[in-house]
Order: sequence, then structure tokens, then C-alpha cells
Amino acid sequence: MRITDLPGYLRDRAFGMLPHRAPTGLIRIGNPDRHSPVLVTGNFTLTVRRLRDALAGCDVWLLVVNSKGIDVWCAAGGGHLTHHDIISALRTSRVAEHVDHREAILPQLCATGVERPPITEATGFTTLWGPARLEDLPGFLDRGAQPVKSDRFMRFPVWERMEMAALLGVPMLMVVLPVLAAVSGWAAMTAGGAAIGLTVLGLFVLLPWLPIRGRRRFVLVAVFAAGAALLGCGLLFVLGAATSSRLTAVSVASLAGIAIASIDLAGFTPWYGSSINTFHNQAHIELVAERCTAVADCVAVCPRDVLDMDERRHRVQINKPDWCIQCGACIVQCPTDALRFRYDDGSVVEAPTIRRTRMNMLGRRSVEVRD
Amino acid sequence: MTSFVWMKVLESAPQRYDRGIRMLSAGRIAGVYERIADLVAAPGKRILDVGCGTGGVTLACAARGATAIGIDVDAGMLEVAKSRPVPDSGSAEFVQLSAAEIEDRFPAGSLDAVVSCLAMSEMSSEEQDYVLRVVHSRLVAGGALVVADETAPEGVMANLAYRLRRLPVAATTYLLTQTTTRPLHGLGPRVQKAGFSIVSTEPMWSGSFLIVHAVKVAP
Repeated sequence: MRITDLPGYLRDRAFGMLPHRAPTGLIRIGNPDRHSPVLVTGNFTLTVRRLRDALAGCDVWLLVVNSKGIDVWCAAGGGHLTHHDIISALRTSRVAEHVDHREAILPQLCATGVERPPITEATGFTTLWGPARLEDLPGFLDRGAQPVKSDRFMRFPVWERMEMAALLGVPMLMVVLPVLAAVSGWAAMTAGGAAIGLTVLGLFVLLPWLPIRGRRRFVLVAVFAAGAALLGCGLLFVLGAATSSRLTAVSVASLAGIAIASIDLAGFTPWYGSSINTFHNQAHIELVAERCTAVADCVAVCPRDVLDMDERRHRVQINKPDWCIQCGACIVQCPTDALRFRYDDGSVVEAPTIRRTRMNMLGRRSVEVRD
Repeated sequence: MTSFVWMKVLESAPQRYDRGIRMLSAGRIAGVYERIADLVAAPGKRILDVGCGTGGVTLACAARGATAIGIDVDAGMLEVAKSRPVPDSGSAEFVQLSAAEIEDRFPAGSLDAVVSCLAMSEMSSEEQDYVLRVVHSRLVAGGALVVADETAPEGVMANLAYRLRRLPVAATTYLLTQTTTRPLHGLGPRVQKAGFSIVSTEPMWSGSFLIVHAVKVAP
């Protein structure tokens, strides 16, 4: 990352919940020629910047599609990056005039909302899935656009967890700090801000080892909230500013801050599905075995390695159901509609509904069918 | 990398879109829908609404007897549009289609009018030029184009005042509804470059909104 990119990086990370639009269109990376690969991405500024860095030394065409300034995964899941947008970009950028081949590499994470056949039908471009993470792109391209299994899996390394802590913590502190300053002064603001910030950071750094699903998450939240309050009070003593009103204000702010940050902690990770809208009616991926023709597109797009091929029975199997994050990519991509969501209450959502609504992570749309 | 938190924000946006746009326009957007329909809609006219969103303009055209088709890429918006009652006097159909796919569905000369309200500003500049060219080819000779969108005043001070005035409204609206709009630049020259002749431009709301009415010049 260049030093000039730092302000944009900080803005995109701290306020990543808001859209940040990069210019759309065709970008040359290196010295691409008529045979160079065409990579497709969304127009979230951070994504485009990171792609430029990751692809340094490569000669490729980068087609930036209008994903409304939202990152590829969220935009595709929310219906803001669809095959219509990709068709639009392929046509309006006139990429076909720059290359002899007709192949575009899509980011794997857009599989939640992008259907490939209409793109080929409308533009003549065939599509294939690139890796889930952009830093795997150079290796993917070196192998002649051949993915390896690790390309498919969504990692969540510690530095990204810290970025996610900033995404959650900065907007919260922007609200909490002025309130604390107004109510109890600068010392309380400093102690409370540090306590909340460090605790949120701690939550995300320790995430792989914390129980953030199930009933045990309530114990976790209570422990971290109490820890934040104690830390805040301790800092007030260190600052020599511990009065009963300041201790109360910092404790209340810390407890509230961590409680709010923990409302849907699982949903802030690529490892667990959000449960905020489904509560006790969780969605589970279900295979209708007689519809499966072993095309295995679902295996290719799963970022959690939930599915694999049962070579002996020549069909897909759900190998790790507990790892499913209900992103719906496998359902959208299955050419025979063999996958669907089944909810705890027995209702199911079939593939056509998932494709039509694109709101596949929330579980709001359940359509009753008779088996 | 991403956060699923966006899902929670985005999923409820379509239902809040109308409220958001009403807030941003201080309730005046309904008048714009009616004005656009007045310019082009009449019984039997085949009208395409590009980026129809929740269908405000499409339904206003249908209410005047037109055969209106609204297209949008946003499935959630279209669901809201489809749930609204269609006036008996005309017809309204809603299709999930991007503006760049108009050429696939509508043959040359198959439309009497094309309208677009608060949609062009959502497109990239390449998309805007492409769409204007395609729309031109799909209209009958003398067919009408009406583009209504947010614009920013051109002068430096006027633009600054506009931005300052807009900021609190836009921020509040976004927080409440997750909806916002963006100003469009150079609309008139773009429309002319695509082969249209401008009939009228109606600036509204202190120059922050513009309705451009143009017709396809016969070749």
C-alpha cells in the first residue's frame, strides 16, 4: 500500500458500512494484450485499491462493475451486484474490442447473487470462478486460471479481524465519546473510549477461540462487557479521575457498548451466518438428492467447504453442515435446483426464490411447499 | 473481505425507498412523477421507465392510459413496485432488467417514449452514454425522452452551498432509510450527443433537480 492510499484505506475501513464508490469501467493492470485475462470486480474503493496492489506484476484487464460502492460479497448478497450489472459492464466498457478471447473471471464471492448463464447468453463471454480472496489471484492466474481447494475457502486472519473491529468500533466510539465527554468530562471519555475500543478489538482478535454462537454467547458478552467496565474504571483510577459519577458513566457506557457490539457478532465474520433476523428459526442447507446431477458448481462456490463430491455415488454431499453460513451461493449456482434452505420450523426456500430475491442470508423469505 | 452487517442494512431498504426519497425531496417527488407522466403519457403510448425502482413513474404513466413497462435491476424494489395497485386505465409491467439490456428485449422503434427518474445518476458515465444511444435506437421517430434527476449547481459557491445544505438532509435520510441519491453532471449535452433534440429543461428546487424533455430527431 502506498502512503497516499492511507487516508482512503482508513476511511474505507473505519466507515466500511457505508458505500465508497470507485470509478467503474475497464482498467489496465500492467501491460495487458488481446490474450490477457479479464477479471471482474465490484466498485468498492478498498477492493479496487487492494486488487491493484495484489495484481502488481501481472498483465490483466480489470473490469470494475457498478456494485454501488459496496464490496462484492455484500453487494451480491443484497442484490446490488447481479448478472445484469456484469452484462452492463461488459457491454458499456467495450471490453470485447480489447481482447480476442471471450472469457471473464468472476470473484467467487459474487456467486451469492450472480447467475452465469445469462451473462454468456447476453454477451458471448463465458465465465469462471476466481478465488474467494484477491491475494490468491496471482497464484490462480499463474496456474492458468485453475483454482486449488484453498482458493475457495474464506480465511479470516487476525489483521482482518482487527479491521472488522475498527469497522464496528469506530462508528460506535463516534457516538459514545461525545456523550461521555458531555456527561462526565474528558477523563471519562478517554477511559471509556479506551475500554470499549480495546475490548472490541480483543473480541475480534480472540474470535477463533470464543463461543459466539448458541446460548454460551450470552455468557461471553457478559464477561467481555464486565471486563470493559472494569478496564474503564481501572483507567479512571490510573488517570486519578475516579469519582462515583465518572465510574458510573464509564461502566454504563462500557456495558452498553459491548452489548451493542455483540448483538450479532457472528454476522460480522465470514465464518458464521447472521442470526439476527432468524433468531430461533435457523436455516439449514438441504440437498434434494434425486435432483443432483453431480455438476458440482455448488462445491466450486462454497466459501466454507461445506459441500464435496461423493465420487462413489456420483453426487454432491453435504459434508460439514455446521460450517454453512447460509450465504446461498450453492443454491443460486446449482443448475438443477438440487439445493435449498430448510428452516427449523419446517418451511423451505427453494432456489428460484433465492435467485429472485437475492436476500438469502436473512431467512425472511420462507415459502411453504409440500414434500 | 466483508461484513454481513451490510445485509441487515440493505435488506430493508426497498421498503424504505419511497420514504427516503420523499424525505430527500421534502415531499415534492410525487409532483415530479406526475410531471414526467404529463410530458409523455397518453392512452396507448408504449412507455419504458428505465430504473423504475418502486414504480412511481411507471404507475403515473399507466394512470394516463399508457402501456408502461418499468425495468430495474433491483429485485427488492421491483417486489415493492409489483405490490402496488395498477390503475385500470392503462397497464404496468415490471421486469428485472438492466438499462444495458434494453436492446435485448425491445426491438428498434418499439417505444413511443422512454422516461427515467433518479436512475441515470446511479449509472456510471459509460453506462449513461450507452443507454442514451440504445434508447435512441429503440424509440420511434419523434419519440420522447424524459430524464429527471438530481443535479448540482455549476458555480463553485453555489455548488458549495448546495453541498452544505444537502449534507444534513442526506445524512439523516441515509441513517433512517439507507437511501440516498447522487447528482448527475452534464445531462443536457449527453442527451444531445446521443441524437436527441431538447424540447425543454425544467430546473427545480433551486437548481438541484432537473427534468430534461427531448425528442428523437428523425435521421
